[in-house]
Amino acid sequence: MIEFERVSRCFGDQDALRSLNLTIEQGEMAFLTGHSGAGKSTLLRLLLLLDRPSSGDIHVNGEPTSKIRSRMVPRYRRRFGVVFQDHRLLFDRSVHDNVALPLVMAGFSPTDTARRVRAALDKVGLLSHEQANPAVLSGGEQQRVGIARAVVARPEFLIADEPTGNLDPQLSSEIMSLFEAFNQVGVTVLVATHDLPLISRLRHRIITLHEGRLAGVTAQ
Amino acid sequence: MVWLVVAISLALPGAMLLTLDNLRPLIPDLERPAQVSVMLAGVLDLEQAEALQRELATWESVEDVTLVRRDEALAVFGEQTGLSGLLMSLDHNPLPHALLVSSSAPRTDAALSQLVEAIDALSGVDRAIIDNQWMSRLKQALLATERWGIALGAAMVLGAILALANTLHLAVDARREEILVVRVIGGSPGFIRRPFLYTGLYFGAGGGLLAGVMLWVLSLWIAGPVNALFVLYGSLGQIQGPGVGYPLALIGLGAGLGWLTSWAASARYFSRLEAS
Ligand SMILES: Nc1ncnc2c1ncn2[C@@H]1O[C@H](COP(=O)(O)OP(=O)(O)O)[C@@H](O)[C@H]1O
Ligand SMILES: [Mg+2]
Repeated sequence: MIEFERVSRCFGDQDALRSLNLTIEQGEMAFLTGHSGAGKSTLLRLLLLLDRPSSGDIHVNGEPTSKIRSRMVPRYRRRFGVVFQDHRLLFDRSVHDNVALPLVMAGFSPTDTARRVRAALDKVGLLSHEQANPAVLSGGEQQRVGIARAVVARPEFLIADEPTGNLDPQLSSEIMSLFEAFNQVGVTVLVATHDLPLISRLRHRIITLHEGRLAGVTAQ
Repeated sequence: MVWLVVAISLALPGAMLLTLDNLRPLIPDLERPAQVSVMLAGVLDLEQAEALQRELATWESVEDVTLVRRDEALAVFGEQTGLSGLLMSLDHNPLPHALLVSSSAPRTDAALSQLVEAIDALSGVDRAIIDNQWMSRLKQALLATERWGIALGAAMVLGAILALANTLHLAVDARREEILVVRVIGGSPGFIRRPFLYTGLYFGAGGGLLAGVMLWVLSLWIAGPVNALFVLYGSLGQIQGPGVGYPLALIGLGAGLGWLTSWAASARYFSRLEAS
């Protein structure tokens, strides 16, 4: 469970988030939406401790994140799988090695790593491209590799910031289906997007921000 | 290229230290009593000379006094110069009696000159000379060279650090994208840093190894002429090569520098990252 409690984030005289209260339930899938500059990315960055609130606190499973020491931050971040808009794959290594990165970081054995990487690639339908360089893949395929990397270490939470921003509607819909599939096996999913036509067809909570404030939450 | 820069920066101070190591044993033990040679007036006979010897021996600043009789002195002089025959033909010995005075501690330059002055003032003394003035000059010269070597060495090592820092900066920059991703998905600073530490070690230790090789080649190259010089000066010394100690120290130094530099380079990068 993720709880934002009166969270504000100011950049100079610019308030990116203003006294935000928000709860994401365990096992839920929710969309975060709002105009550009509404504070979506800021919210996700705060959740990943890439940035700290100016005031307020974020609780994850009841634990206040403000109490997490910087030494423990990497371990905290490993509880999240992160998908970026521009996928952020590393073109100096194969698809396999990209997906393996979180496992190498966590110190998995090579055999364990290989097995899990193949399982993750299988789930996103790219097992046949394991040894390819990600640069030769299409945009949709690259994003699926990014998702495989995000889920390979079986995180509690899956966080995505505009994951379909660069994709056409057909591919976007496929990507969202993937997120739903991971949600169905128990992963809590939070996706920031402004693709309203797409998400309004899906039956998940939609959280809308406006100028850093909570502007509305649809029922599930 | 980086190796070469690091190697040269380390080999130069290494060569300097090695040179000093070679020169140091050539200076006889500097801690032995400093000696004052006292030439007595030619008119003094042996008895008067012995009286003077006894008097000097009672001085507090004097440890020991040896009398060198004029005939002894002549014999030694003749032997050393190979002019014995010629000297024998002289009808009288031109050398005076002499005293060799060892000063007692403290053997500072000031105390020694004071002693020389006091002896000089005695009647019956022609001249008192400090035996090892040249030696203390040499000692000072070596000390100065050593300081100079250390300063130059520090500058060269700084050069090595800059070369390494530049390389690591480029290495970190080339992996900027990877660092950003790994940080977000929970890579610890240690994990992010590891490849750069290896890069630093690789270039640092490699440069040190190359410096060791350079030192070997250099000392082999100059060994011939220098050993010949030693023989000419009647020294039994042989040039002392860098052995294993020097290359090992250079590799260790290079590795240490590489490690520290990469640590600093990545730390600086991370702190900028956290600030952004
Ligand atoms: N590092 C920053 N420095 C200054 N202003 C920032 C920074 N990050 C975000 N902002 C501002 O905060 C507001 C919210 O930005 P962001 O969270 O990126 O919005 P969104 O992702 O919804 O488009 C914007 O007005 C943006 O200019
Ligand atoms: Mg954004």
